Amino acid sequence: MVSWWRPIPANGARLPAEVLTKTPLPGIQTQWSRLVTAESSDGPHAFHVLDTGPALQAQGITPTGTILAVHGNPTWSYLWRAVLEASVRVATPHNAWRVIAPDQLDMGFSDRLAHPEPPGPGAASYRRFGQRLDDLDGLAEALELDVDRPVVTLGHDWGGIISLAWATRHRNMVDAVVTLNTAVDHPSGDPVPAALQAAMAPGLLPSSTVLTNAFLRVTLGLADGGLAPEVAAAYRAPYVSRNGRGGIGGFVADIPASAHHASRAVLDESAAALREWDKPALLMWGPKDPVFRDQYLHDLLDRLPQADLHRFEGAGHLVAEDRDIAKVLFTWLSDTFTSAAATTAVSPPPADEISGLHDQLDQMALSWRRDSASVVQLADDQTTEVSWAELKSQVDSLASGFYELGMRHGDRVSLLVQPGNQLTAILYACLRLGAVAVVADAGLGLKGMTRAVRSAWPDWVIGEKTGLLVASTLGWPGKRISVNALSPRLVRLTGAQASVERLLRRGTSTTLETVPIPDPESAAAILFTSGSTGPAKGVVYTHRRLGALVALLRQTFAVSPGSSLIAGFAPFALLGPAIGATSVTPDMTVTKPATLTAEAVAEAAAAGDATMFFGSPAALSNVVATSGELSADQAEALQRIRLVLSAGAPVHPELLDKVQQLFPQAQLHTPYGMTEGLLQTDITRQQIHTAMETDQLGVCVGTAVEGVEFAVAPLNSLGRPAEALRDPDSAPGVLSEIVVSAAHLKAGYDRLWLTDRESRRDRHRGLLWHRTGDIGHFDPSGRLWVQGRLQHVMTTPAGPLGPGAVETRVDAIEEVARSAAVGVGPAGTQAVVVIIEPSPGKNLTVGSSPLALPELSRRVRDASVDAPVSAVLVVDSLPTDIRHNSKIDRTALASWANRILAGEKVPAP
Amino acid sequence: MTPPHIAEILPPSRILVTGASGLLGRSVAARLAELGYQVTTFQRSPSHLPGVRDVRGSLEDPQAVEAAVAGQHAIIHMAAKVSVSGRREDFEKVNILGTEQVFNAAWSAGVENIVHVSSPSVAHSGDSLIGAPAGPADPEHVVGHYAQTKAEAELIAEARGSVGINVLIMRPHLVWGPGDGQLTKRIIDRAKSGRLPLLGSGAPLVDTLYIDNAVDAFVAGLRRLPHIAALPIPERRLVVTNGEPRPIGELMMGIAEAGGARRPSLRVSPALAKAAGSVVEKIWAATGPHQDEPPMTKFLAEQLSTAHWFDQRHTRKVLDWTPTVSIDQGLLALTRHVRRTGRVL
Repeated sequence: MVSWWRPIPANGARLPAEVLTKTPLPGIQTQWSRLVTAESSDGPHAFHVLDTGPALQAQGITPTGTILAVHGNPTWSYLWRAVLEASVRVATPHNAWRVIAPDQLDMGFSDRLAHPEPPGPGAASYRRFGQRLDDLDGLAEALELDVDRPVVTLGHDWGGIISLAWATRHRNMVDAVVTLNTAVDHPSGDPVPAALQAAMAPGLLPSSTVLTNAFLRVTLGLADGGLAPEVAAAYRAPYVSRNGRGGIGGFVADIPASAHHASRAVLDESAAALREWDKPALLMWGPKDPVFRDQYLHDLLDRLPQADLHRFEGAGHLVAEDRDIAKVLFTWLSDTFTSAAATTAVSPPPADEISGLHDQLDQMALSWRRDSASVVQLADDQTTEVSWAELKSQVDSLASGFYELGMRHGDRVSLLVQPGNQLTAILYACLRLGAVAVVADAGLGLKGMTRAVRSAWPDWVIGEKTGLLVASTLGWPGKRISVNALSPRLVRLTGAQASVERLLRRGTSTTLETVPIPDPESAAAILFTSGSTGPAKGVVYTHRRLGALVALLRQTFAVSPGSSLIAGFAPFALLGPAIGATSVTPDMTVTKPATLTAEAVAEAAAAGDATMFFGSPAALSNVVATSGELSADQAEALQRIRLVLSAGAPVHPELLDKVQQLFPQAQLHTPYGMTEGLLQTDITRQQIHTAMETDQLGVCVGTAVEGVEFAVAPLNSLGRPAEALRDPDSAPGVLSEIVVSAAHLKAGYDRLWLTDRESRRDRHRGLLWHRTGDIGHFDPSGRLWVQGRLQHVMTTPAGPLGPGAVETRVDAIEEVARSAAVGVGPAGTQAVVVIIEPSPGKNLTVGSSPLALPELSRRVRDASVDAPVSAVLVVDSLPTDIRHNSKIDRTALASWANRILAGEKVPAP
Repeated sequence: MTPPHIAEILPPSRILVTGASGLLGRSVAARLAELGYQVTTFQRSPSHLPGVRDVRGSLEDPQAVEAAVAGQHAIIHMAAKVSVSGRREDFEKVNILGTEQVFNAAWSAGVENIVHVSSPSVAHSGDSLIGAPAGPADPEHVVGHYAQTKAEAELIAEARGSVGINVLIMRPHLVWGPGDGQLTKRIIDRAKSGRLPLLGSGAPLVDTLYIDNAVDAFVAGLRRLPHIAALPIPERRLVVTNGEPRPIGELMMGIAEAGGARRPSLRVSPALAKAAGSVVEKIWAATGPHQDEPPMTKFLAEQLSTAHWFDQRHTRKVLDWTPTVSIDQGLLALTRHVRRTGRVL
């Protein structure tokens, strides 16, 4: 007996409603709450249980199955109230789940055990992991768990590993496992997460967990944006006194930090057993958890490769509080256990025959063009040229080198390399091995890139020195390979295991012969979206789907073996070798398209004999702006260009007209697409002018390219898209969400189970669709007019309206460089506000106010005839995304406009 | 006498308009007469409207009110004391007791239909209103004698409206146009003398109502009153505006310029204006009766520095009405009127 320890007495379970007569618990119904006596390994104990079985029974509903929800430390079954509530709300006679959420022993409102000694690894009065599994056995019996119907476990924190272990112990009875943030294995050698170390220090454990409510307080403080005071009070309710907190200390003491810990063996056994689990699994994860960090998720995925995963970017340890986990859970259960939804859907046939991404490279390296340039790069007055034969040899050298380092099929490789010759060689080496290239470009910013890399959790990071140093500093996962050979000091700092430079010098080996060509259905790349509308999402492409894109580019733009293209827009440029076309990287900062000058384009055209130029609107704009500096020779080089293609965002026809003057021989194309499907429609400059004469709302992006099918989901008065899709020709002129189907679309979103499911939920005409989140309409000629993004829709009393419907007209006003239209006020009765970035040198405001001069407001209203404009504001420059420098951050602008037009004093956005 | 049961109140029904001395009352009475209604007006001074019967008197005089109400099919009760300053008792007499008189007289005379004219200020206490619905009158929390007493009056109208009388509550917001002395003339006069307060950014969105649209809305409300009376009380409160919220600064500049004044540029910070308004209000109240309104009040400062605009979907549906004159067309009409006549009124 420790002298300073005042023993904790045993205490019986009680109903929360009896204990908390004054403060009701928000979010739970009294009738869910009851006490159950269950037989465990050491005799009977009374448990408090939240159970929606009786509520469902009262509605005459027999559950489809049961969810056994196990909380962690220091929460209680209150954690599951959203799941409990949803189980009653979404229940139908054919699909209903009973949720049973017990309070673990010594926790919540269940029995309190007597503790004559303080908590510690050797203290016997505290519940151990193995006993908690026995407790669940007893509870399952006492609650008469219906084992003839599906049983699903759900857990969080300690409850995660307990529920998973219990499921593997009863693999015949349990049909699926679901867990939130937890850890099933902690290597004995690794330090315990820093966030836990303080609580676990032997001298501190009793005081941080039992004697004070420090551990409880810290945990509750982890909620994203903080918990509402009454919710935090509900979590604290069973733990207000020292005598109520024994279980909290006991749980912390049961963390098997050392190899000799009493619970170590059972835990190791359970972790190993999880590898045998071959039934459905769902993981829902909050990545901002200081304890259960992404490496534990990665370990879980390794053990449960079949698991579906929804990773809630921005959510933390209390993911059940931070996000709508019930929606993901019940959607998943319904998909998994109700077979009705399982109708298959397919993509339409590709535009042309699909070949392997390496086939062209291999052929070119053997053809009469073997010594002509495959990739050309201009940088710092130097031109670097690599022939097809050389590129092939580089790719093979790197592939075999990477393989010998341990890179395997399915490994994820984060590429922190500037677009150019080296990146091309590295990328194709990865593709050859079946490794998955993770491309999160610097346009996301350091924070965004870190988020992206952590979500993709690469096995490898290949980067230039600066990239690797950043990766080390920010603790990005993955083994490192540097591009250049590094000094010993830098090798130590970056942790680089090898360098591309040395691997190239070493040359090819025979290793590669034994490595099979990857299957067309295996993942090839994960590209991150620009993140201009929420956190960047990883978009997965398979070899087949990238191959379909290559086929489409060949078909639509006649890019063919022997063509040469200037790559001002990276995604298409990287496909050069797959097409068999020469790609020329101009002298520019590729991540900042607005740095591309007319001279750089001309030099690239001359150096690479290029006839095609791929750029983005920002790049085109700067090319036009710098065209005055062209020499006669350079201007002539631009005359050779036959095709100019601008992607990423629509281009204003006036800019296109200026571009045409620079490239007099070129056809100007501005295709429409997105990260999830890079090429959907196409239109030429002339076609844009023809279309504009019809004076419709938005930007005309042309007609579907070969192999692309469109459908529409009309918007209602609150701007929400219809569930049922319609064919474009059945709803001409109706503002709708654009939905697309094609062989070259994304294979899926990475680790965003629900987002992916929702984007592909439609089964219209038996096809596999993608909800683009773009809004617009089709005209009777089948042309698509885009009005912007779904989340930027303005819901006026006259109906929904896309920003593009106003902006395209306003942008034509002389003093306006560009504009953004946003809605202010409540949905359905919003007022339209136009925010203007003036042409250089124009002062358009009333004094120092952002309010536009009345004359300008009048012109804006006259221009926007179809949409009444309430207010016109002027700012120096509109906030935009970094990647394209062209997507306006309308969400930020709307929030600014809302405040300024409410009378608040706010600085410019 | 009880009028025959009719689906709508159509000409030549007999209509009493109280308070036809102001622009809105006068315009509504004139329009109704033009449309063939038999119109009686009730106020202290003669209305000078052709084809309209005047009953002259005060709302504080029950016999006069009874005389005006007798024999009517419907009443548009517009009379009110509208001001941003003055003694509370004066507001109570007209706005609360006066409204009670009208309803009492209507009850005794069997007049079943009353359009009670109110103000959006009865429901709001100075916060920003952004696409707001027409909330319930709240005399406890609204600011100023006018809003408080009009809120009480509206509660009386609601109570009477739920037993035996068809009541519609219409809350026009900031009526302006040629002939308006309340807002339009003051803005123009002050702009001309360089005293127009354009506060802060001038950006807050404000809903207004052009006079012609207001008249149309009242005619629609009167005509459809028997239909509307079938709705629950909360759906019978209608804020009426042009449905074109505009930045307050832009509107005031527009009105000032339409009146021939130079574009105002004076700037005062909203906080300063509120403080100044409070002080001025007190001095004004302490120095006895005035002919004019004080140059700045706390209420006015709030009105000018926060958003005030409303959800018009329900109003338009219930009235089966949409404004026919846009704000820009209204400004043009005001410009022409001032140029032609040389004055606002």
